[in-house]
Amino acid sequence: MATGTRTGRSRFTLIFLLLTSATLLTLDARNFEPLQRTEETLSDLISPLRSGADRVFEPVGDAWAGVTGYDELESENEMLREELQKLEGQQILDSDAAIRLESLLDQLGLPYVQDIPNVVAEVVTANIGNFDRYSVQINRGTEDGIRNGMPVVTRGGLIGRIDGDPGRGHSRVTLFTDPGFEVGVLVVGTEDVALASGGGHGEPLMVTKGLEIDTEVAIGDEVVTSGVDRSRYPPGIPIGTVTNIDYDEARLLQLLTVEPSANTDSLSFVTVLLYDPLEEGS
Amino acid sequence: MPVSVAGAYVRSGLFLLTALVLHLTLFSDLRVLGVAPEVPLAIAVTAGLAGGPERGAVAGFAIGLGIDLYLPTLFGLSALIYTVWGYTVGLLEERIFRSAWWINVLVTAAATAGGLLVYAVLGELLGEANLYTDHLYVVMGVAAAYNLVLSLPLLGLWHWSWPRLLGEER
Repeated sequence: MATGTRTGRSRFTLIFLLLTSATLLTLDARNFEPLQRTEETLSDLISPLRSGADRVFEPVGDAWAGVTGYDELESENEMLREELQKLEGQQILDSDAAIRLESLLDQLGLPYVQDIPNVVAEVVTANIGNFDRYSVQINRGTEDGIRNGMPVVTRGGLIGRIDGDPGRGHSRVTLFTDPGFEVGVLVVGTEDVALASGGGHGEPLMVTKGLEIDTEVAIGDEVVTSGVDRSRYPPGIPIGTVTNIDYDEARLLQLLTVEPSANTDSLSFVTVLLYDPLEEGS
Repeated sequence: MPVSVAGAYVRSGLFLLTALVLHLTLFSDLRVLGVAPEVPLAIAVTAGLAGGPERGAVAGFAIGLGIDLYLPTLFGLSALIYTVWGYTVGLLEERIFRSAWWINVLVTAAATAGGLLVYAVLGELLGEANLYTDHLYVVMGVAAAYNLVLSLPLLGLWHWSWPRLLGEER
């Protein structure tokens, strides 16, 4: 008798929880605002605990990364040594290239990115789950003026955008490696606005739309955000360098492979540009 | 030693909150081949093994909602899957497995792999991108191995959270 009652109750509990989950799924899919506010409040409540635990466990995570990534570190060091040698040999050329890029940006009429108000944020969690490979969490949110869609950069250039509604003191950044990530770009020196999209973890960006076949592009050309009217990214943020050019004869388009200038591995600090295309437009 | 129902709820709540915070901070960084332990799924499965279908469902729902707060996928997806998984494993434990410790360990690993597959497939069906990829099978294998190791400590913690309740029929 007791077992029968318990089974009936557990079935009732299961059905109740399933209906609740399904309701939450439906409401979230429809961007039901009260639910989103509740989510933010709840995650804000857990935030202090999380920050404290983060500080305590950070050394453990670092030590683990050191142990499991030892081979990677060795090869990365080797690569960096080679890179350093090249840089030493080309120091003069590099400074010249920087001046040339700056002057090219000036010629295109692109405003200097650092004029845009920005907030420096710390990456608190690289990615939480195993299905969340293309986003990171940062420790700044609506309190600092961050809103959905704002561009996120590092010294190397664009790394992604704020995705979803940020909490008061935290936000999620979708990285450009996400295959669903798209950004309007311009090959410096050309006028064609094209669309670049993420190619997956550790893969380059791909430009597959918008670049006409007769536009002069060369390997090594710099790619920056286009900042066309109402684009969510301001113009002139470095994206990367063209490393391969293919041709789509049927659509009369060029397909570019772009090696990103910013590295999304082991991010520590990022800068969120408090850029709102609608405000800029007005 | 028996405890009151309220005491068991407080213990369970503390356990779930601690597990969530540890997952978000410590375990997310302990990656092998880019894969972290699936602590929330292990929590749901071991709750089912230790406490039966109802407790498995409730614990799965609670930890699922907690982790949904931080995932870019739809809110409620983890809660839905972990609820079903906690309940199913609890039911199987009651009717088939009967609590041999080594079976519980193996079940936790197998249920982790199965749960991840269901999560990816259901997520894709609901319109989430990048869940069912080539990397999924690596995730399933490594996460199952991780949860195999975590299963015994988690089962022990569930037995601490839900000791014999005052007046409960055994």
